[in-house]
Amino acid sequence: MTLTNAEAALELDESLAATHEQVWQRLGNCGTWWTGRERVAAISEARQALICSLCSERSEALSPVMVSGEHDSISNLPPAAIDFVHRLTTDPGRLSEKWASQVIESITEEAYVELATVISTQYVIDSFARCLGLPLRDLPKAGDGMPNRIRPDGVGDVGAWVSQTIDKSLANVSRAASLVPDTEILWREIVQSHYSRGPQFADLVWDRGLTRPQVELVASTVSALNECFY
Amino acid sequence: MLRASSEAIRSEVDLARLEVGAEVENGELLVRYAESAARGDSDLDKVREELASRVGQLGVIEAAATVSAFEGLNRIADATGIQLDAGLADESADFRSTLGLDAYSGASSTDSQGTPGRAGNVMEIFS
Repeated sequence: MTLTNAEAALELDESLAATHEQVWQRLGNCGTWWTGRERVAAISEARQALICSLCSERSEALSPVMVSGEHDSISNLPPAAIDFVHRLTTDPGRLSEKWASQVIESITEEAYVELATVISTQYVIDSFARCLGLPLRDLPKAGDGMPNRIRPDGVGDVGAWVSQTIDKSLANVSRAASLVPDTEILWREIVQSHYSRGPQFADLVWDRGLTRPQVELVASTVSALNECFY
Repeated sequence: MLRASSEAIRSEVDLARLEVGAEVENGELLVRYAESAARGDSDLDKVREELASRVGQLGVIEAAATVSAFEGLNRIADATGIQLDAGLADESADFRSTLGLDAYSGASSTDSQGTPGRAGNVMEIFS
């Protein structure tokens, strides 16, 4: 499929294209724990991670902690945030609770979750473009404003590395970003548009471009490549 | 979800043969596309063309949407250290060991390895 064909096919899914556009721009808005400028810097840093020499060396090593050095960074984010963004982008399957605790101690738990949510959302949109041979979007415009740093009510320790909503009516993966609800909305919108699609998720038989077993096979393959236990 | 959705359309799935498509229609090619896309392999354009000829443009868009969704889902799950839900641990206990999934780093986040057993309705785990 050529680039032109991919773009033409995308036009058939106007809903997905519209969701990408508005979620992408909102990623650049001021968050609850990071400014718009910092969030855009993090997005830029995540793209840089894909050509970072240290990340490349670490991904080849038996353990990422065996290789020390400095990332090929392009932002003024705190060093712990830069390491977080690079490792989450290039080696997510080998993050550890001990390492996460050190990052959290440095940047706070809420900032950690907001950054994880921004980068995971960005990764979906960038990865989709790469999958189809389309160019990556320009960075979103950084919004004005200052983070209000308000921690939501009803969150606590439910056994994950970070606090989540203690309302257990949702699966753990659906609560992963619940510590930062204003950014979690973006995450939910992108996952809904790509995969779960609201009430359709409850149906085991799908009428889409692929059957549900085909979709789940692709999902399983990616999760295996990333060594994601969940 | 792969096993449950295959059973829903009365189709056989072989989880031990995931790498070659698990007996899913066009499975081997879908796996090749997912691998090539996730790794950024040099043959991605070629594999995508081949996939389009088999499942159509919308099928390719769906595959791309799924690859990218799970690239993100894997990252947020790994970064937050979420545990496997109890029902999911039971549902997957029989094949996790066979497929080597219990050796993944993220397995240490889950307290209970689960008791092998199939859920009456696997979707209830996520509701």
